[in-house]
Amino acid sequence: MVGNNLNLTVTKPKHMEMTMTKNNNYIKRLILSFLALALIAVPGAALAGMPDPIKKDMLEKGKKVYFKRCVWCHGVEGGGDGPSADRLFTRPRNFIQGTFKIRWTDSGELPLDINLINTVKNGLTGSAMPAWGEFLAEDEILSVVQFVKSLVQDREWDDEDEEVNNVIGGSATSASSRPAIGADIGKGPLGDPPWAKTAGPYHLGIPQEHVDAGKELFMKNKCWECHGGEGRGDGNPTMKDDWGFPIVAANWQQCWNHRGSRREPYDPFVVARTISTGLNGTPMPNFREQLTGTERWQVAAFVNSLCPRKNIDKLTNKPVPDFLIQSVYTEGIVVPKIDDPSWASPDTDYRIVDLSEEQAENPKKHYIAMAGQITRGKRNFDPKADNLYVSSRWSAEEQAVYYLVEYDTRFMSQDPEFPDAVAIQWPAKLQDLFGAEKPYFIYGDSKKPVDVWKASFMAKDYSATNAPNEKGYQLDVNVKEYVANGFDAVADKESEGKVEIVDSIFHQGRVKVMFKRALTTEGEFDVQIPSEQFIPVSFFQWSGRDKEHDEHMAISTWYYTILKPALPASLYYMPPIIAAIFVCFQGWLVWMTKRTRKMYDEGKMRRDELPK
Amino acid sequence: MNKTLVSFLVFVVGLAVFHNAIFPIFTPKEVGWILNRYVYFLSFIAYLIITHLILRLKPPIAMMGLFVWSIGFYFYKFVLYPPIPWTLFITYMVMWSIGTFLYISQDPETFREFRKPIVKAIVGEYKMAQIVLMIALPILVGWATYQSIYPSFQEPVELRTVHPAPPATTKVHGKTYPLESTNNPFRVDEQDNYKDSFPFLDADKHEYMKYVTEGGTIFFQNCHYCHGDQLNGLGMFSHVFNPTPANFIDPGTIAMLQEAFLFWRVSKGGPGLPNESTPWSSAMPPWEEHLKTEEIWKVILFEYWYTGWHPRTFGTEGSTAGGGE
Repeated sequence: MVGNNLNLTVTKPKHMEMTMTKNNNYIKRLILSFLALALIAVPGAALAGMPDPIKKDMLEKGKKVYFKRCVWCHGVEGGGDGPSADRLFTRPRNFIQGTFKIRWTDSGELPLDINLINTVKNGLTGSAMPAWGEFLAEDEILSVVQFVKSLVQDREWDDEDEEVNNVIGGSATSASSRPAIGADIGKGPLGDPPWAKTAGPYHLGIPQEHVDAGKELFMKNKCWECHGGEGRGDGNPTMKDDWGFPIVAANWQQCWNHRGSRREPYDPFVVARTISTGLNGTPMPNFREQLTGTERWQVAAFVNSLCPRKNIDKLTNKPVPDFLIQSVYTEGIVVPKIDDPSWASPDTDYRIVDLSEEQAENPKKHYIAMAGQITRGKRNFDPKADNLYVSSRWSAEEQAVYYLVEYDTRFMSQDPEFPDAVAIQWPAKLQDLFGAEKPYFIYGDSKKPVDVWKASFMAKDYSATNAPNEKGYQLDVNVKEYVANGFDAVADKESEGKVEIVDSIFHQGRVKVMFKRALTTEGEFDVQIPSEQFIPVSFFQWSGRDKEHDEHMAISTWYYTILKPALPASLYYMPPIIAAIFVCFQGWLVWMTKRTRKMYDEGKMRRDELPK
Repeated sequence: MNKTLVSFLVFVVGLAVFHNAIFPIFTPKEVGWILNRYVYFLSFIAYLIITHLILRLKPPIAMMGLFVWSIGFYFYKFVLYPPIPWTLFITYMVMWSIGTFLYISQDPETFREFRKPIVKAIVGEYKMAQIVLMIALPILVGWATYQSIYPSFQEPVELRTVHPAPPATTKVHGKTYPLESTNNPFRVDEQDNYKDSFPFLDADKHEYMKYVTEGGTIFFQNCHYCHGDQLNGLGMFSHVFNPTPANFIDPGTIAMLQEAFLFWRVSKGGPGLPNESTPWSSAMPPWEEHLKTEEIWKVILFEYWYTGWHPRTFGTEGSTAGGGE
């Protein structure tokens, strides 16, 4: 054992030892030693060393922190089996085997202390692990990391056979999570990205050539086998982690959920690191054999380019929901086709990246956050849809409104008993609501009924294990309307259903369903939709593959929608009129000023005299 | 060199240097008697006065007025802390503008001097200025009209009662509890005695820690989705709901409430809120449907132990003593 030597240069004697035993010739030995030294000195070489041993003096304090803050999920012995574990997806980490996902070290190796410290400080976004950096004191974090290390039973941190190779190249002691050194060698540290600089927190401006190169590498290395054709994690439905629990591939279009993002979801380093180190305990390998450092950065650039740029809430690390769904006024009739250019709109926030001219007037995709329904009956602790995107158009000529609802789901149901479904909920008696009054947000209440439009669907000719299908799958849709007066009082409407699903598709991990309904109907419990008025609206979603049905679903809170009016004609004639009036005023001012001057000059009037 | 131009450069370059280089020095994390933003502001004013005195600069009154007005704008916009809402900002700037005008018109001479460039621009002695004004201003007015007519929609603001008045009694699992006089049956000891005890580890040793462990177990099976692993209202589902879940670390929530109030809110949830608390958007479930009475009390015991707050009590000394961590 090399004792407490934390220095990464412990490789030096190791390499020298090897060369010495093999060569007796003194000069040869000397040359080889120099070569070995040179190898270590070359920044490109992997930095091999021992794991950081447990700092025993910190264990006492760490144990106190652990048993107050961590034990609830990670369990008394660190087996990832605390009280909350069975109701979490993904499950809390089991520390016993020493398997840690987010590291700078090679696949299968133990992490560096700095990796664990950063995980505790920043949390694991997209999971229940919160960021403790602002909650615990620095020494509490350092101590609890040492205690967590002591919970590893199957491996020894001071075992001579435990090697750690820092394949990222960051400093083991620096608090900065960014690597400082490195060169472009396949087996060596990741090194710096091939582009000079990216702009702002959204890391925009990576040259397109790198993104394109990354896409080619994505195809060549078959990343889509697990991550799907457009990176929504919809490739492989059968994956398990080391403990046999089901696990899914990351959805690259929701990068704010990437576990190791360290609260920097748009930083390409996150992906470049994961490609370099793999994720221990999961099927994700590292790709250092296949990809050079530059190529890993290029794949990262491609993966990064898929993630919509959203305004991320610093506290929750999720995009800020768009609480007002604006329905765009459409001249003439609305084209009821999802892929029509009049519906084209990016997931990215238009306030962050400017829209192209053709899309500037199109409906925006509003971000609707979803959570599990945990109030009544069979509760849903692990909803499969994180969010919906909703866009809308309406037409005065047709007297109809269209809502296009989209969401990412990795795999669809193949069991007709449990179809996938999505629903829009409205107050059924909008006209009876006073002020901000609304029905209860899940299925209304006894006094205030709700109108629910539910579309259930199965994908045609679909199997979850199919290779990515660029054309997507048509959906067999069945739409039903319900009136509800509470959880126990959800009934089919007696009046004729007026809601239509005019178009739908399941394409590369994304469901798209377009609802249409007339603004006014005859039904007693049909919502009557006025224009230019705020109308409460909320959403439900069911994942058939998870056997979700009835109240076992994902829900949103109340949002508002508004049917925006056509642009007023006065918009075009009022500004010139006002400007013309202003010009007249200016002319009058000039005339007056000149006249006054003339009167002074002609002596008809005296200038204001200064006191002598 | 034109002294007016020098004066202008002294102001603009000086402000740029002060704002970008010196301002950060004067705004450290720990505010001191010297290193604070107001001392910084005064030193900027001192810099302006001293430079003008040394260089014997006497800019025309119109420019002086502009300087004075800009200094006020800079102060209210960037120096004053905490930042003020824009309505207040407008009010302050109106008063500051009136002050600036008084300064300009303090005597007929300065006022005439101030008017001179304006009049010259109007009558066309400054030909370029006249052309620019005559064209730019009407366009600006037209643009402002367009902006004000263009329809834009914001989600409506909703007000609600954060701590609604509780009912006198609440009926949970068939038993009626008067809120005024109900206490937590599991508060068997003073909670401060268990600051350094630990769930699971000490659950067998102390009855109190046994209840805390049980309460925490229920919390981390049901409540953390919204109220968070840190009890700060930032759980995995918290961003979905509006209003957002309560933050128990905040001194304005459980720290100022009686345990019986919590018992009522936990048992009845959002649907049990009185009418004054509409819109009915609280996502808090009525937990009496999922938890037993004693489980609700244990969760409440856990929440106080974890955050270090003490429940509010009436009639005994040290009613709201305690503090967060």
